[in-house]
Amino acid sequence: MAETRFLKPQKHLSQKVRRGGPSMEQAILKAVNAADDLIGQYQGWAVDDLETLWQSFVETSRTGRADPVRLKELYDMTHEARGQGGSFGFPLISVVGDSLCKYLDGLPRLKTRDLDVIRVHIMAMKAIFRQGLKGHQGELSKELQVLLNAFRAKIAEQQAR
Amino acid sequence: MNYETTWGNTPAPAGQKPPMSDGYDFSALRVLVVDDSFHMRELVRTFLEGFGIKEVTVSSDADEAFDLLINSDPDLVITDWNMAPVSGLEFVERIRRGANVPNRFVPIIMLTGYTEMKRVEEARDAGINSFLAKPISAASLYKRLVTSVQDKRQYVETTGGYFGPDRRSIKRREYRGKERRGDA
Repeated sequence: MAETRFLKPQKHLSQKVRRGGPSMEQAILKAVNAADDLIGQYQGWAVDDLETLWQSFVETSRTGRADPVRLKELYDMTHEARGQGGSFGFPLISVVGDSLCKYLDGLPRLKTRDLDVIRVHIMAMKAIFRQGLKGHQGELSKELQVLLNAFRAKIAEQQAR
Repeated sequence: MNYETTWGNTPAPAGQKPPMSDGYDFSALRVLVVDDSFHMRELVRTFLEGFGIKEVTVSSDADEAFDLLINSDPDLVITDWNMAPVSGLEFVERIRRGANVPNRFVPIIMLTGYTEMKRVEEARDAGINSFLAKPISAASLYKRLVTSVQDKRQYVETTGGYFGPDRRSIKRREYRGKERRGDA
């Protein structure tokens, strides 16, 4: 049985942080304003990243090379897009990226129908950028999530037959 | 997107003390941020500096970050998970193992798009203090900083190889009610 020793850290963050700085709202607004330029540049470089993902997908479709290495590459690029979209003001990109990550996660290899799923997701991300759809766009974010969930479920059902 | 606020700038009425701010002064903190994505790294750095933190060091890979950690002894580490060749998880394990590390108790926030429970548990078992899911916002990062300041957990070292914050939740440790296990 493993023995356990409890230890108290000598240093603690609270020794260097005191109450009474700017209010939480002020600090957050200052940070958001400071990041304004960075956030404004997002769409420019994210479109380039998306093009790289698209090219990887096209190559996969053309060669039929869909081994685990290529699959991981597609997953990693989608995973990045998922994390970055919402962080830089495009949560719909995160919604679509999350859906594709869920689909790709755990797939042993790609089949023809999987390529359709990937194509639809990448094209959805392209459309979001083309239309400049920042923010949650009201109910669209939820609707998109529901639609993509249903789409993935339908494909999974077809694959199981 | 540019916001302005006058909150907190209104002077208190004569004879009254101004209300206590709900904020924190983070300016003395030294933070190390590790992320292989230039844009995410810069976003986190910008948010932290916006919160008033003056010393934010950034690194794009875990090997370099480990050297920086040894030389600069930061108060807090924020690291991405999905990095190569050394992942964020291996980076955390290296810190907690402690060879040459000035402070292996350093609080670590794992910043990642992985949110599945098995991943959260994996990160917890590597010795992280908390988890911040991407996409991030200034508000989510600020709140995570506050949580880190308020986190008073002790650390645990087991002969099984774990070193890190106590993985039991504070609620469970502080439970003083009737122990019902074994009552059946």
